[in-house]
Amino acid sequence: MEEKKMCIGLFTGSVDKLTAAGVVISGAAALDMKVDIYVLLQGARAFRKGIGENADNLPMAENTSMKEEFMQALKNLNVKTWVEFFREARELADVKIHICGLAGKIWGGEKLEDFLDLADDICGIGAYIASAQEADVNLFI
Amino acid sequence: MTPEELKNISVAKSVDARGTACPGPLLEAKKAIGTISTGDIMEVLSADEGTKVDIPKWCTKQGHEYLGTVEESGYYKIFLRKK
Repeated sequence: MEEKKMCIGLFTGSVDKLTAAGVVISGAAALDMKVDIYVLLQGARAFRKGIGENADNLPMAENTSMKEEFMQALKNLNVKTWVEFFREARELADVKIHICGLAGKIWGGEKLEDFLDLADDICGIGAYIASAQEADVNLFI
Repeated sequence: MTPEELKNISVAKSVDARGTACPGPLLEAKKAIGTISTGDIMEVLSADEGTKVDIPKWCTKQGHEYLGTVEESGYYKIFLRKK
């Protein structure tokens, strides 16, 4: 079977959009797609160690006043956290997470170890665009 | 296969994903398919309405044979053969 490739520009640092991204990545992993995720500006904050693991530290992108209800509903439905989705997808398929160097610096992260252990490397915009050119599916979240 | 045939089929693997919402059942299926042999039959139990559309599509994409779905009370049993 021909390998299909997905490329995601992950701009968001919001828990609702990160959860959606986690579901999308899981679906791609289930189909054995190769997934490259480029973590941009706000996204890099969620990937900072000591921040993104705890949803209390993350905003909501939409229906911002309903964060508590949203988080409770996810819990009631036994939905994984966004970090768990990303982690599991990485275990299931060829999913690589690249942190944009500039974005990392904005949130005080210079080195790979400043970010959650999900991150594979720190890169620049050239890598993102090169991957986007080759991908069968391009998403910007 | 007919629902009657599916009810009597013997499965090599049963994946109970009733406690999870989408994409849980699909991920459970993906993980379990690696543990069975080509030609083996697997059933996925899901209480998520979307799974009965998801799994057949996933089978088509992955090359597995979708055998059919049986509706039980409050959940679905979805059958497939690994290729």
